[in-house]
Amino acid sequence: MAHIELRGVFKRFGSVTALSDINLDIPDGQFFVLLGETGAGKTTTLRVVAGLDKPQGGQVLIDGQDVTGWGAAERDVALVLQQYSLYPRYTVRQNLEFPLKSPMRRVAAAAIAERIAKVSRTLRIEHLMDRKTDRLSGGEMQRVSIGRAIVRNPKVFLMDEPLSALDAKLRESLRAELKDLQMSLGETFLFVTHDQVEAMSMGDRIGVLNRGVLVQVGTPADIYARPVNTFVARAVGAPAMNLLPGRQEDGADLGDGRTLPLAGEAGRAVIFGVRPEDLEIGGAGIEARVTDVENHGVEKIVTLQAGPHRVRATVPVTVQVRAAEMVRLGWNPARVHVFDAETGRNLRF
Amino acid sequence: MTQIELRNVNKHFGSVHVINNVNLTVADREFVVFLGQSGCGKTTTLRAIAGLETIDSGEILIGGAPVQNLRPEARDVAFVFQSFALYPHLTVFENMAFPLRAVRMATGEIDSTVRRVAGVLQIGNLLKRRPSALSGGDLQRVAIGRALVRNPKAMLMDEPIGSLDAKLREEMRVELKRLHVEQGSTTIYVTHDQIEAMALADRIVVMHAGVLQQVGTPEQVYADPVNLFVAQFVGSPVMNVVDVTVQDGRVVIPGAEGLSFPPALMTQLGGKRELSFGIRPEALDLALTPTEGFVAAEAHIIEPLGSHDIIDLRVGQALLRARVRSGFVAKAGTPVWLRADAGRAHFFDRATGASLGVRL
Repeated sequence: MAHIELRGVFKRFGSVTALSDINLDIPDGQFFVLLGETGAGKTTTLRVVAGLDKPQGGQVLIDGQDVTGWGAAERDVALVLQQYSLYPRYTVRQNLEFPLKSPMRRVAAAAIAERIAKVSRTLRIEHLMDRKTDRLSGGEMQRVSIGRAIVRNPKVFLMDEPLSALDAKLRESLRAELKDLQMSLGETFLFVTHDQVEAMSMGDRIGVLNRGVLVQVGTPADIYARPVNTFVARAVGAPAMNLLPGRQEDGADLGDGRTLPLAGEAGRAVIFGVRPEDLEIGGAGIEARVTDVENHGVEKIVTLQAGPHRVRATVPVTVQVRAAEMVRLGWNPARVHVFDAETGRNLRF
Repeated sequence: MTQIELRNVNKHFGSVHVINNVNLTVADREFVVFLGQSGCGKTTTLRAIAGLETIDSGEILIGGAPVQNLRPEARDVAFVFQSFALYPHLTVFENMAFPLRAVRMATGEIDSTVRRVAGVLQIGNLLKRRPSALSGGDLQRVAIGRALVRNPKAMLMDEPIGSLDAKLREEMRVELKRLHVEQGSTTIYVTHDQIEAMALADRIVVMHAGVLQQVGTPEQVYADPVNLFVAQFVGSPVMNVVDVTVQDGRVVIPGAEGLSFPPALMTQLGGKRELSFGIRPEALDLALTPTEGFVAAEAHIIEPLGSHDIIDLRVGQALLRARVRSGFVAKAGTPVWLRADAGRAHFFDRATGASLGVRL
């Protein structure tokens, strides 16, 4: 049970600003995901919360208590990393017991056995308890590391890309498992990833980080439908949102005769953004040449050349299109975005 | 004309039968993808075609001629590895020129060939750089370029974009396909990533434990998988599979009401009682109110992916995943009603996993 708060956290490594003025409020029991590319500062944020890195400015509060000056062990947080860092010579059971046998927190033998039994049931690793950890598959090892974090009943779970080293199928199933675990534990999770699918599917809320700046915080639906700028727009959704540079004339024309009232002088450079699933093939719209069709079974991803621009559209598998065909490309006017070309700021939402 | 043919190919590593009686014909100019998990024998098969592995028995034909006893360089095929395997001390130009210098091509001809291929791959501006100054995507372009300059009979690629990040992989996918369309060389491509396979292949070869499970177009493999392995390997989220019983003309998931299907489908099931029922997430229809012909369920975890949601549904004792439009179900715990699209229902033998071929 913990409420995490960061106030004006600032961190630099030499001349590089890793985090600039991070303000974040994670209510108790929330699954919060920090999404960003390599070097965006997400792991640093996590380490600051864990107490492994000290910020140069700002405060870290856990349950309203200022823990900025506290060491990692005093904060009672659990960290799960991408590398499993299990003890290879120990069995799964010994690995799980390890944090409970620490001299810092004495736990009675019976209580240890009980907690381990409960955790192994939750994570479905009961049949592995007496195996050495170097005899486990990647998914099993990651379950054990999560188990080792859970047995301690920490206040906060911090996870740094725990699924990234696993293969696609396993990642998909562990994603659901982890979310399920968080829901049943009801604990606060701070989860760091570069994978937008993980962020969207697991997070109650997502924070998008870009070069040490927290660009947007919101629910997955919010981030997807109302990105504050072009960076966030490209960070979620696959294939990524199509961004086409253009110029504002008399408001922005949405292609169906509707215009978007925009402040500012005509001739201002803008970027027109539309997601692949909001494009439709056929109907009235701009002319485009199909350059590639990928059939993914559930839908088709079509790559098109529209004038100088390459755009991608996802369409139902039932839509018949072929490479080299000329088509008309329309879009859903309610779902298009207009960004300022200079700042990238979303002018519409 | 480069047709590649495998006839009864077998190979063992010790007691492991890594290639188990494989028969396959790859047509001229075709793009074939070997798809399977690590250890399924896909890379070994590819290496056997290239001559990097010997085979125990069978025949490998390239362009109609048996090559299984020829050395790799005599087979005239190009191989692209996941680890780019470029010479770090040579420039991009020299890396690409290397195979041509090895066969003592005239300098002028080398120059024009490398530049033409570099143009196709859009790396003409990088020719003077060394590999250390290139991004992952460019490194792989150079590696592919080095394979192309020789104008080989066939291209063999072993997870060439497996080590790139997700966005770049998506871009390179489109580029590889464009390249194949332009060059038209017969290509065999190995991957464990079903998305790559679906996107690139003219035909997919699904392998498991050294055995070809299914060979077909992406559409066939997705819509008509021959067994449970193929059904659950292709597609994401994976196809739902539950053990069901057939009672009173209905397909019953333990602990839930029976799913009803048209008689045309049910009669095909004949006297079968116990079987596995497969349904893809997008083939489940959901309703928020009790509806005739729908079965009660409860929404559990909701994964909002932006363009659509994936919902875990508790149906009796089973957990099914459905793909629905964004925001269709408000929150976990909501009661919903579901129906399976009869046209996209699959039935498998519980013991062997083979598809019963029962389709509407």
